[in-house]
Amino acid sequence: MQSWRRRKSLWLALSASWLLLVLLGGFSLLRLALPPRPRPGAPQGWPRWLDAELLQSFSQAGELPEDAASPQAPHGGSCNWGACFDTSKCRGDGLKVFVYPASGPISETHHRILASIEGSRFHTFSPAGACLLLLLSLDAQTGECSSMPLQWNRGRNHLVLRLHPAPCPKTFQLGQAMVAEASPTVDSFRPGFDVALPFLPEAHPLRGGAPGQLQQHSPQPGIALLALEEERGGWRTADTGSSACPWDARCEQDSGPGQTQRGETLPNATFCLISGHRPEAASRFLQALQAGCIPVLLSPRWELPFSEVIDWTKAAIVADERLPLQVLAALQEMSPARVLALRQQTQFLWDAYFSSVEKVIHTTLEVIQDRIFGTSAHPSLLWNSPPGALLALSTFSTSPQDFPFYHLQQGSRPEGRFSALIWVGPPGQPPLKLIQAVAGSQHCAQILVLWSNERPLPSSWPETAMPLTVIDGHRKVSDRFFPYSTIRTDAILSLDARSSLSTSEVDFAFVVWQSFPERMVGFLTSSHFWDEAHGGWGYTAERTNEFSMVLTTAAFYHRYRPPPCPGIRGSEDQRPPPRTEQGSLDPRNPGSRPRSATSQLWDPGLTSLEFVFSSVKWDGFTSQGWCEH
Amino acid sequence: MLSVFEESAGYRSVLSLERLPDPQRTHVMWATSKDFGMSGLRFGTLYTENQDVATAVASLCRYHGLSGLVQYQMAQLLRDRDWINQVYLPENHARLKAAHTYVSEELRALGIPFLSRGAGFFIWVDLRKECEKEAVCVIMCASVKYNIRGPALIPRMKTKHRIYYITLFSIVLLGLIATGMFQFWPHSIESSNDWNVEKRSVRDVPVVRLPADSPIPERGDLSCRMHTCFDVYRCGFNPKNKIKVYIYALKKYVDDFGVPVSNTISREYNELLTAISDSDYYTDDINRACLFVPSIDVLNQNTLRIKETAQALAQLSRWDRGTNHLLFNMLPGGPPDYNTALDVPRDRALLAGGGFSTWTYRQGYDVSIPVYSPLSAEVDLPEKGPGPRRYFLISSQVGLHPEYREDLEALQVKHGESVLVLDKCTNLSEGGLSIRKRCHKHQVFDYPQVLQEATFCVVLRGARLGQAILSDVLQAGCVPVVIADSYILPFSEVLDWKRASVVVPEEKMSDVYSILQSIPQRQIEEMQRQARWFWEAYFQSIKAIALATLQIINDRIYPYAAISYEEWNDPPAVKWGSVSNPLFLPLIPPQSQGFTAIVLTYDRVESLFRVITEVSKVPSLSKLLVVWNNQNKNPPEDSLWPKIRVPLKVVRTAENKLSNRFFPYDEIETEAVLAIDDDIIMLTSDELQFGYEVWREFPDRLVGYPGRLHLWDHEMNKWKYESEWTNEVSMVLTGAAFYHKYFNYLYTYKMPGDIKNWVDAHMNCEDIAMNFLVANVTGKAVIKVTPRKKFKCPECTAIDGLSLDQTHMVERSECINKFASVFGTMPLKVVEHRADPVLYKDDFPEKLKSFPNIGSL
Repeated sequence: MQSWRRRKSLWLALSASWLLLVLLGGFSLLRLALPPRPRPGAPQGWPRWLDAELLQSFSQAGELPEDAASPQAPHGGSCNWGACFDTSKCRGDGLKVFVYPASGPISETHHRILASIEGSRFHTFSPAGACLLLLLSLDAQTGECSSMPLQWNRGRNHLVLRLHPAPCPKTFQLGQAMVAEASPTVDSFRPGFDVALPFLPEAHPLRGGAPGQLQQHSPQPGIALLALEEERGGWRTADTGSSACPWDARCEQDSGPGQTQRGETLPNATFCLISGHRPEAASRFLQALQAGCIPVLLSPRWELPFSEVIDWTKAAIVADERLPLQVLAALQEMSPARVLALRQQTQFLWDAYFSSVEKVIHTTLEVIQDRIFGTSAHPSLLWNSPPGALLALSTFSTSPQDFPFYHLQQGSRPEGRFSALIWVGPPGQPPLKLIQAVAGSQHCAQILVLWSNERPLPSSWPETAMPLTVIDGHRKVSDRFFPYSTIRTDAILSLDARSSLSTSEVDFAFVVWQSFPERMVGFLTSSHFWDEAHGGWGYTAERTNEFSMVLTTAAFYHRYRPPPCPGIRGSEDQRPPPRTEQGSLDPRNPGSRPRSATSQLWDPGLTSLEFVFSSVKWDGFTSQGWCEH
Repeated sequence: MLSVFEESAGYRSVLSLERLPDPQRTHVMWATSKDFGMSGLRFGTLYTENQDVATAVASLCRYHGLSGLVQYQMAQLLRDRDWINQVYLPENHARLKAAHTYVSEELRALGIPFLSRGAGFFIWVDLRKECEKEAVCVIMCASVKYNIRGPALIPRMKTKHRIYYITLFSIVLLGLIATGMFQFWPHSIESSNDWNVEKRSVRDVPVVRLPADSPIPERGDLSCRMHTCFDVYRCGFNPKNKIKVYIYALKKYVDDFGVPVSNTISREYNELLTAISDSDYYTDDINRACLFVPSIDVLNQNTLRIKETAQALAQLSRWDRGTNHLLFNMLPGGPPDYNTALDVPRDRALLAGGGFSTWTYRQGYDVSIPVYSPLSAEVDLPEKGPGPRRYFLISSQVGLHPEYREDLEALQVKHGESVLVLDKCTNLSEGGLSIRKRCHKHQVFDYPQVLQEATFCVVLRGARLGQAILSDVLQAGCVPVVIADSYILPFSEVLDWKRASVVVPEEKMSDVYSILQSIPQRQIEEMQRQARWFWEAYFQSIKAIALATLQIINDRIYPYAAISYEEWNDPPAVKWGSVSNPLFLPLIPPQSQGFTAIVLTYDRVESLFRVITEVSKVPSLSKLLVVWNNQNKNPPEDSLWPKIRVPLKVVRTAENKLSNRFFPYDEIETEAVLAIDDDIIMLTSDELQFGYEVWREFPDRLVGYPGRLHLWDHEMNKWKYESEWTNEVSMVLTGAAFYHKYFNYLYTYKMPGDIKNWVDAHMNCEDIAMNFLVANVTGKAVIKVTPRKKFKCPECTAIDGLSLDQTHMVERSECINKFASVFGTMPLKVVEHRADPVLYKDDFPEKLKSFPNIGSL
């Protein structure tokens, strides 16, 4: 019995083993018989040569010392910046622009553009001292073309500015002149030499300009994904779910669901598809930008405006029209975070560079100035993040840390010390108590006294550990805002000799300023209001529920103050004159926020606030309020 | 070390001891035969400090050399640490332990004394007693389990059966081994990853004869752009947004007379193709490829015959006028006039060229690449911190045009010590080393080390625009002063060269010193850092150059997935330190939009209704959303809810999770969200309206009522949660807080690590998580509004026992520590201020105040 069982198990084991043998052996035999094929899974890469180490280098050391170069640069048919622009004329004080006066009667537009350039800090009246000669070629629509100017000099250091690409019969050769033109075609555009302008509509405001139309950060649910630019003008929204390639007429079976909206209004959509073939479509680009509708450019044949400095990948999408499905899928799958970022960037760019003709012209000049400055030009960050290069001047600094706007992007923080600047006005008493109070602050680095009255300087000043500098100022009120080279800190505490503050008040205000380095942080407030009776803005320092200004008699602000750029923050000529010395300074940087939509023309650029900051523990009784005096 | 299977036994290598008692007589040997059971390989190591022993053993090695195959396999095996640590060792230990246990049990049963140790393959058995009985001693080996089975099993059977069995099993075993050899031997070699790539010699590649009259492509088309000359259809839909690159097989081209057209392939081009082949871009399927890279080496125009190379290109199987073909060229042109682009006619092919000028570079089509410097691999220049250096300006190029040299020497005369103009050494005896030497008069300097001594380094145009010295200069962290009119700098399409170099027009060469002097020191240091970073990322190897080129082309084809300016240009330190606020536009939402209140509730209906009634009085409220988190109970009927003026919507959740309060519900139409607990009944409508107004000014922050603080506990060395009434605030609780609804999206979908699960598992700390999240993405502090401090209803204070409070605090502190470790940093910012209405506590008629009803503490 046992032996039978043993034999059975034996046979079982044996047959199993033979089966295994046959199976395995058979397979290997089969494999031997068939030629080996590369398996599809693992790609066969570039071979590892056994003698790879023995290969020769592409450039032999002995070969490197080349024939000495000829001092003539390689030259081609067209101009570039180095060859055709003479920067030696600009060496003194940067970019100085001379504008040729119009020969005949000029239109209102021309006149105002001229006026805006003349008002800018670049302008000069002498063609000899100018390093850029500007030829306005604006009135093309009236059929007039400018004739060859006197100092033409083959167009060297000339900029021909064409806001509207109406073809003007070429009366003279452009020669070495740069061309600033709306939406130039990529083939004729000379990168780094010409300037691409936006295609401005006829009715583009000269100054001020409407703010971006984006009312909120995030797109609301239920708005269309795509808006399509139509050849006849106007927009059409498309349902992305149905049509495969909505812009391609060939594969569009049903144009039913899309509704055509003629006219200028842009439908509420996230993306705006703009054809890249027709330069006229470029005007749609600006429209989409303003509306916060992310422009999707299909194989653009024209250069994007100011592409030399603006990083358009942050605000628009350039796609290939030949891959409709892919583009559509990419748009649908785009993460909300990316959409949010793109939308915000459209608004920032619109507000900073495109919302008015004046901004466009100033940006053009800024671009050329950056080329002249070379290393001290605006870094890309300053161009591409709020408040923009027109407000963050490279003449102040090229390092983003020096500005109050970029601490987050740079991973830096505002400096922990401030300089106090005490302005001593007419009565002329040395502010001894104030100096003691400020000097007691742990954050104070230095104290400057600006002596600005008739009485002679007192000979003795209080003993403090703090470095004390006395400046014998002129009698001008705005001297207090002069960028004194002795101020070495980012934060400035501006004080009047008559202000009375305690050390802890100063300390508290400074830590609040550190949280908001781009704003003015002060103690005394006032507000503006619309005075119906006079039809203008009024000023009040009375106690109200809200305020829009803090007085510089006691306030912290950043050493960098945007320069007064007439027109850039609204229409100054229509603005009531600023009242008193406090009015000359906005409580915050004007570029840092859009104005409210309701009162664009008359908006003084101020926003009213309804809150003040207090110390966390303050209960209103135990001590004097920080903000009430 | 590898055979210590007893977990409790700690292993310490002799080599890890700080001092050996007698190092000269301590020798450490290790071999794979035991630890890997690979006794057949005869592979071992000897570690000794005794020079004589080492010499003696080394001389023995001559006769016991290991084959290259074995060495290679061993290297592969030992390199695969993951497999060794995670697969092999645990398994080996388990088996050893099992075998050891078995043998020791058997020995114990037999009553044989032995030494039991938790390591090794052998057991010391004391067989003296047994040996006395029998003549033969059997040494038992415990290396593998079936080996011991043999001697243990077979002796129990009768001899007849034994022979029978042994014969039978040997036959089967032999058969199996034979098959196994057949089956696994060639296979195992193939499966090793590098084996399927053929190893061949470059000399053995097939030869292709080019007839003299074979077609030549047209010259390069200067008007080519991506949308005209590039066939994007080949790239098709690709979920990963990656182009596919095919490399043609290497061939050797000869003309009718058998004379080769060019060197078959240079070392760099081989490296370049290897890099592409190893990258994600590579495909071996010519039909799926979007970009084709010929293996015809055109890196240096001087090493090839132009017409024949063009003919070779034209006969490539998918040439099609050069569409979608990419050529790499670093040294274009040839004497006497040195064109700035490759002279080989190439029709529509893309050219990645070093040394383009503005006239030959097709913007948006060609790619400008650096000229690789072989010194990058040869010389290891350690990174040198930015700051002033010995020389201000240095020129180290040889073979400069005499006019340029005169200009530079004039600078040296004018500015003395701070300018150094070097030339090649004429008086050095040996020729080979002179490439690495530069001389000024009789002073000899090491090149490229001397570049590290200078702040600025001149990179002048030679015969060609692109100069390999640019790479050396960047490597040395020296700021290149590029004097080459019309030169297109490498990767200028994506790299911001203004941050790392100074470009000076040739005619301004005499002013170069004053131009450089006007750059502030801080900017110079920034440029030095940036220069070194450019070299590390894009210049240092052929691989870096190849991958950057492909990335640029990839970004053109899939622009919506393109790499941003910051990713290309910001050095890692800036990338990590900076914060990009998702709500960077200072946009004030219109007041008319109002806010949506979200009340999370479980079953406290009465309190919930009170909250709803209170909140509905706030003028700016536009919608009320109740998140009903109780699955066991239905919400009250519609008729029972308080009648309010705004839409009220009840959302029922599938699971009782705290994260539900932060879900981005479609019902939220406003940007502002007020999160409020169902027991916060003390907030007045004035307080809430005021909070909303403050939020509008700071839409990217959390604006809330109950403030909390985190502190560093020096005793425990960790973070601590603080709810006491302090001078500082770093968090506001979302029991009552305004925030932007985008943060709901971030919380639900982009919360780092396992924070969300942690919160749901602990049913706590969702508010702390939200504070961390917002502070981390915006880099900004919270804002506490109004002075109110007490938020518990008066009747609930009894429940808030001290002990409950204690555990609560411990738990919350734990949350802070956990979150800080997940975020890798402490993002919370401490502030000392809160927002109050302008006329709060002012001596002013109450009814004239905008927000009279602001509660006290």
